[in-house]
Amino acid sequence: MREVKADIVIVGSGAGGGTVANELAPLCADGIRIIVFEQGPRLRDDELTGREVEMAQRLYFESGGMLTHDRSMTLAWARAYGGSTTVYTGTSMVVPGHVIEAWNVPGLRWDDVRERSKKYLEENNVHLLEERLINENNRLFVKGCTALGYRVRQFPVNVEGCRGLGLCNLGCPNGAKRGTHRVQLPAAERQGVEVVTNATVSSVTKRRCLVTVAHREIGEPSSWEPGEYRVTARVVVVAGNAVNSPVLLFRSGFGEYLPALGRGITLHPALILAAEHDHPLTNFFGFPKSYFTDEFREDGRFLLETCMYYPFTTAKNLNGFGAEHSSFMKGFRSMQQILVLALDDPADTNRVEVGRHGEPVVRYRLGRNVLDSLHASMKTAARIFFAAGARRVHVPAGTTFTIGTADAGRLDDLVPRSNVRPGGMSISSAHLMGGCRMGADEKTSVTDAWGQVHGIPWLFVADSSLFPRCSEVNPYVTVMALADRVAQRVRERFKELAS
Amino acid sequence: MKHLSQERASFLLTVAGRIVPEIREMDPDGISRFFGIVDGALGGRPRKARRQFGAFLGVVRWLGLPRWGMPFERLDDDRQDRVLRWLQRCPVRVLRQGFWALRTIVFMAYYGQPEVWPSLGYEPRWDGNEALHA
Ligand SMILES: Cc1cc2nc3c(=O)[nH]c(=O)nc-3n(C[C@H](O)[C@H](O)[C@H](O)COP(=O)(O)OP(=O)(O)OC[C@H]3O[C@@H](n4cnc5c(N)ncnc54)[C@H](O)[C@@H]3O)c2cc1C
Ligand code: SF4
Repeated sequence: MREVKADIVIVGSGAGGGTVANELAPLCADGIRIIVFEQGPRLRDDELTGREVEMAQRLYFESGGMLTHDRSMTLAWARAYGGSTTVYTGTSMVVPGHVIEAWNVPGLRWDDVRERSKKYLEENNVHLLEERLINENNRLFVKGCTALGYRVRQFPVNVEGCRGLGLCNLGCPNGAKRGTHRVQLPAAERQGVEVVTNATVSSVTKRRCLVTVAHREIGEPSSWEPGEYRVTARVVVVAGNAVNSPVLLFRSGFGEYLPALGRGITLHPALILAAEHDHPLTNFFGFPKSYFTDEFREDGRFLLETCMYYPFTTAKNLNGFGAEHSSFMKGFRSMQQILVLALDDPADTNRVEVGRHGEPVVRYRLGRNVLDSLHASMKTAARIFFAAGARRVHVPAGTTFTIGTADAGRLDDLVPRSNVRPGGMSISSAHLMGGCRMGADEKTSVTDAWGQVHGIPWLFVADSSLFPRCSEVNPYVTVMALADRVAQRVRERFKELAS
Repeated sequence: MKHLSQERASFLLTVAGRIVPEIREMDPDGISRFFGIVDGALGGRPRKARRQFGAFLGVVRWLGLPRWGMPFERLDDDRQDRVLRWLQRCPVRVLRQGFWALRTIVFMAYYGQPEVWPSLGYEPRWDGNEALHA
């Protein structure tokens, strides 16, 4: 076991870890040693091939197919230099005020989160795409929503030099998405922060991190030799995401002191819905996600967004099999897609635990409210498809494989609530939140409003696990805003913590 | 195949042909790519999940026995589909989920092949934005 001394260790290089690294980087000029450990590889540009299965294996944890404990949902997050920001679509939303109010964290104010969010909108080149870059898949969503009188809004996105490959969730081969792998981490490294890839932190007890550096066939070799390391630090910032951060803290023995650890996770359970038009569309060309409607945020507790996935992901998200499934897939060029996000509330049944071999276990029960939201959202999306001119719509909970225009008025009969069952349709999540939630009470939260773990002054959390409830919008900007606060607190306290 | 016996692999191909009919027409290169993806996918899963997958294939194979007196591969197309449809809607959640996993791996091994994409009209290109106005 090799011994290494550092001043600040950051675990994870995603939206949270990358942000903290860049915000603390100026300390390097004073001789402070900052090391980021990242489990995943630093892929070379030519390794971003855009091939769906290959990239899922290279970038995602368990190829993006990790299952919740009851096997009714898959969870997707990336494991790479840049974390999930390497695969996110880059829609960049500021969390609404009512969400921060509902979080009810003493010391956390919306105006503070909003101002910090704005800083990241700027840093990540967030803007609205020009009209001429919007493809038909997106335009049809606007057409359908408008015809039905639903409020529809354009997503601000964080691309620069986007050529419209549409491969954002497979790691943009064009380097156009401004993730931490393109913005914050390179900036931090230029100032002296060390980013060690292929490096898994297995525990963080008593300011000591146990780190294993592995050899991988892909990506740049890690800057450290493969092997075991014990790294001492004055401050440790954990930013592994809503699943890995609680798991790391459990494995480090903190579960005993932190009764809320792992609890209260929310996932924005998602469905991908598809419809067929009678002519080929521009769907997989162009930036994939430009519009959403939050018309049903309060009543139905769901959001609808445009999306366009790749052949395997699309096939998996359609129910059924055989000739009818295959013929629908053959109409890929004429396909319109909509993503549903259910807005879920924290529940006692939903939490992160550690399995017998130290692996993450996510217990999540799709509660009645979420299933109701998914049911309502499927019917709403079907109405939007029809209003946009689709000739048949695939509704996963439908009594038939597709519903044609002649039956468009019978959705209530053809999509019974009883068909919406866990394990009966492809439900997934890419928005993992909670598990180390912020708050004032040590019994119900893990950190304070600045990400410091209760009772442990040298230990901080700076990622999506801090969310006490779901964000009700795509979460990465909020992760960065919270990580920015954590970095500020570390900077303010560093001298005191170092002594 | 590293993660599935020869017998299980050939049974998987039979079932896969009912899930995606085009799989029955795949040439040897396509079949080898198919199994390459299956193997890669199983290799990336925890050992327990691999065992469960193998066991589930056994369930599919013998499910029709009490009713029709023969294993899945000897049933006609219609009965094979009935077995799969029953699993898809099965009231026992673990069987429903097993079917889900089977479907997922078959779709991955077929639709994950770039060689298949032209048959769907899916041809991503570097200058996608240019194609918007072509
Ligand atoms: C496909 C996809 C699309 C998305 N699209 C959007 C979008 O358009 N807009 C939006 O707002 N959000 C989007 N998101 C969500 C967003 O990416 C995440 O909310 C955000 O990245 C979470 O940040 P994080 O820091 O918590 O974790 P991550 O960004 O996931 O980073 C965590 C990192 O920590 C590393 N790590 C974990 N444990 C350890 C350990 N023990 N040792 C070393 N390293 C470790 C992991 O390998 C990983 O790289 C998307 C997510 C996905 C998966
Ligand atoms: S659409 Fe733009 S951001 Fe997405 S992969 Fe293509 S070039 Fe990259």
